[in-house]
Amino acid sequence: MTAQGFALSEEHRMVRATVEELLHRLRPQREAYFHAIFDEMYFPDELWDRMAELGLFGALVPEEYGGTGLGLLTMTIALEAFASEGLGNTMAMVTAMDTMAIVRAGTPEQKRRWLPDIAAGKLCLAFAITEPDAGTNSFRISTLARRDGDGYRLSGQKAWITGVDRSQAMLVVARTIPYEAVIARGLPPRHGLSLFMVDTQAPGLTVQPMDTVGIEGFRQFFVFFDEVPVPEHDRIGPEHEGLAALFDALNAERILTAALCLGMTEFALRQAAEYARERRVFGDTPIGAYQAVQHPLARLKVLQEAARLLTYQAAAAFDQGVPSRQVGLQAAMAKYLASEIAFEAFDRAIQTHGGNGFVKGYHLIQMLAPARLFKTAPINNEMLLNYIAEHALGLPRSY
Amino acid sequence: MKICVCVKHVPDPNLPVQVDPATRRLIRDPKQSIIDPADEYGVETALRLVEEHGGEVVAVTMGPPAAEDALRRAMAMGADRAILVSDEALAGSDVLGTARALAAAIRPEQPDLVICATESTDAYTGLLPGALAGLLDLPQLTFARAVSVEGSTVTVQRATETGYQVIQATLPALVTVTASVGEPRYPSFKGLMAAKRKPIEVRDIAELGLEQHTVGEPGARERVLEISAVRQVKQGRIVVDDGTGESVEEILAFLRSIQVV
Ligand SMILES: Cc1cc2nc3c(=O)[nH]c(=O)nc-3n(C[C@H](O)[C@H](O)[C@H](O)COP(=O)(O)OP(=O)(O)OC[C@H]3O[C@@H](n4cnc5c(N)ncnc54)[C@H](O)[C@@H]3O)c2cc1C
Ligand SMILES: Cc1cc2nc3c(=O)[nH]c(=O)nc-3n(C[C@H](O)[C@H](O)[C@H](O)COP(=O)(O)OP(=O)(O)OC[C@H]3O[C@@H](n4cnc5c(N)ncnc54)[C@H](O)[C@@H]3O)c2cc1C
Repeated sequence: MTAQGFALSEEHRMVRATVEELLHRLRPQREAYFHAIFDEMYFPDELWDRMAELGLFGALVPEEYGGTGLGLLTMTIALEAFASEGLGNTMAMVTAMDTMAIVRAGTPEQKRRWLPDIAAGKLCLAFAITEPDAGTNSFRISTLARRDGDGYRLSGQKAWITGVDRSQAMLVVARTIPYEAVIARGLPPRHGLSLFMVDTQAPGLTVQPMDTVGIEGFRQFFVFFDEVPVPEHDRIGPEHEGLAALFDALNAERILTAALCLGMTEFALRQAAEYARERRVFGDTPIGAYQAVQHPLARLKVLQEAARLLTYQAAAAFDQGVPSRQVGLQAAMAKYLASEIAFEAFDRAIQTHGGNGFVKGYHLIQMLAPARLFKTAPINNEMLLNYIAEHALGLPRSY
Repeated sequence: MKICVCVKHVPDPNLPVQVDPATRRLIRDPKQSIIDPADEYGVETALRLVEEHGGEVVAVTMGPPAAEDALRRAMAMGADRAILVSDEALAGSDVLGTARALAAAIRPEQPDLVICATESTDAYTGLLPGALAGLLDLPQLTFARAVSVEGSTVTVQRATETGYQVIQATLPALVTVTASVGEPRYPSFKGLMAAKRKPIEVRDIAELGLEQHTVGEPGARERVLEISAVRQVKQGRIVVDDGTGESVEEILAFLRSIQVV
C-alpha cells in the first residue's frame, strides 16, 4: 500500500507495519477464516481476539481508560490493512463509532464503565438507527424513549441492525420528543433525538434475524423494543440534543467504511493483477498485457490512491478535532469515492478472472456483495452527493 | 529477577545479502535492518520468565545509532528498558571486541540471567555468547529449547541431534536459545506507544571503561581473508509431463528409489 503523498507519521507507519506483521502470521489460518465468514456467515471469535490483542479496539480509547488514544487515522490504517487481506471487520467499525460517541459525549462515569472493556476487546457494540420506515431519512425515526421515573422506557422497532447477536450492547438512536411534536412546535427535525446504550439482553428487547447475505460474517436483525427500561445513566449526551454525538459517531463510521472499501479495493486489484500477469490465452502473451485488461485496473489504482488521500485526510481532521461539519464533508467524499471504486474493483477483478471469477476459491464473487453494500449502507451514495452538493457547492436541497 | 537480553540489529534477512568486496564486510543499510529474528526468541524467553517470576528485562545491543530500532522493537514486545552500546571507535569490532563491549555494558547491571540467540542471522559465527560468558565469568547453557527458573537454579533443555539434555546451573548464568522456545509475541499498539517512552541508555567506550586498542578495528584479531559466493548446488529434478502418464511413473520410481514411498 502506498499513499506516498500523505505524510504518515512514524507512529502510523509503525502501526501499519505491526498490523501487516499480524496479518502475515495469520496467513496460514486465512482459508479457515474465509470458510467461517463466507460459508458459515460467522466472523471467527479467534480473529476478533487477535485484533483485540493487537490493540485495534483501544486505538480510539484515551490512555487513561486503558487504550492508546492513537486515534481514528490509526484505526483507519489498521482496518484498511485487514480488509486488504479479505479480513475486514464491520463490527470493529460499528464498535468504533459507538466508542466515539462515548469518548466525545460520555460522562466520566460512562467512560469508566465502557471504555476499558472496549479497549480490551471484550465488548462488541452494535448501532441502531434505521427503522423500516426511516432509513435515509433518519429524522423520521419513531422509536420513542419515554421518561419513566429515574429513567426511560424504550418502545419501537429497528431494522437492518448488524451484529446484534454478537453484541453486548448497542447504541440506539431514539426520539425523546416525537417527530410530529417537534414539527408542531416549530423546532428543527433534528431536535428531540437522544442516544442510549442499551443492553442487548434487556427485558422487553427481542431480535429476529433478517434473511440477508450479511457482511463479513455478521448478520442483520430486526430489533423490537417493548417498554425496555433504560436507566438515565445510559443516555449518552444531552437529552433531546443527541445530534452532536451522533455526528461524531457517523463521521467515524463513514471514514472507517471508506477504510474497509480501500482495503477491499486493494484485495481485488492485487488479485486481478496477479492473475493477469500469469494467465495466457492467446499464445504466450499474459492477458495483463492487453490494455483492455490493464487500463481499467490502472484507472482504479489511480482512484484508489485518490480515495486513500481523502480518507486519511478526513481521519486526520477528525483526530485534530476539526468541527464535525467540515469533517463530515471530507468523510462524505471519502466514503463516496472509496465505495464506488470498491465495487468496480471487484467487478473488474471478476472480469479479469473470466470463469474463475465465479469460483469460490478466489473469494471474489463472495466479496462482491459486501463491496456492493457500501454504496447503499451505512448511508447511500445519493445522500452523500446531496450533502456534498449542498455544503460544497451551495446548491439547494430537493428533499 | 533481572534478565539482560542481547539483541542484534541485522540486515533484513528477507533481502539479498550484499558484501563489500574491498572491505570484505557485509553492507549494512540501517534503513533495511531489523531486530535479528533469532533474538526475538530471546526476548520472548526473557518476558515469559519475568512474567512468571517478576523482575525486569533489559535489552542490550552494540551497533550504530540506528540499532536503536532493534531495542525499540524489544521494548514494544515488553522489555522494560534498553542499553545501546554505540561509538565510532567500535566500528570494525570482531567477535571478541563485540563481546568486550557487551560485557562492559552488562556487567554493572548484575543480571541474574543473560540471554542470547544461539547464532545471529547475519554473521552466524555462534561465537559471541561463549566469549561473553567468559568475560562475565558466567556458566553458559547453550541450544536451549526450553528455559525455566526455580529459586536460584536455571534449567534448560539443551537440544541435541537426537533429543535433548537437561542441564542446570546456578544463577547468574548465560543461556543461548533456539527457535524452539516458543513463538515470539508481536508488539501491540500499546507496546508501540509504551516503547516510545521507555528509556534507552547510550554508552560509548569511555563510559564503559574500554580502551580503544581492545575493540574496533585496532582490537580486531580476526581477519577476513576471503569472501566467496556459495556454489549453487543444482537441486531437484524437473519431470516434464508429456500427457502420456509416464511422468507419474517416473516420479514414483524416483520416490521409491529414495525410499520415501
Ligand atoms: C447489510 C446491511 C447492514 C446494515 N446495518 C445497519 C446497522 O447496523 N444499523 C443501522 O442502523 N442500519 C443498518 N443498515 C441500514 C442502512 O443504513 C439503510 O439501509 C440505508 O441507510 C438506506 O436506508 P433504506 O434501506 O431505508 O433506504 P431508503 O431510505 O428507502 O432509500 C432507498 C433508495 O432511495 C434513494 N434515495 C432516498 N432518498 C434520497 C434522496 N433524498 N436523494 C436521492 N436518492 C434518495 C437512495 O438510492 C436509496 O438507496 C444496514 C443495511 C444493510 C443493507
Ligand atoms: C574484522 C571484522 C570486522 C567486523 N566489523 C564489523 C562492523 O564494523 N560492524 C558490525 O556490525 N559487525 C562487524 N563484524 C562482525 C561482528 O564481529 C560480528 O557480527 C559480531 O562479533 C557478532 O558475531 P556473530 O553475529 O557471528 O554473533 P553470533 O555469535 O552468531 O551471535 C549470537 C548471539 O549473540 C548476540 N549478539 C551478537 N552480536 C551482537 C551485538 N552486536 N549486539 C547485541 N547482541 C549481539 C545475539 O544474541 C546473537 O544472536 C566484523 C567482523 C570481523 C571479523
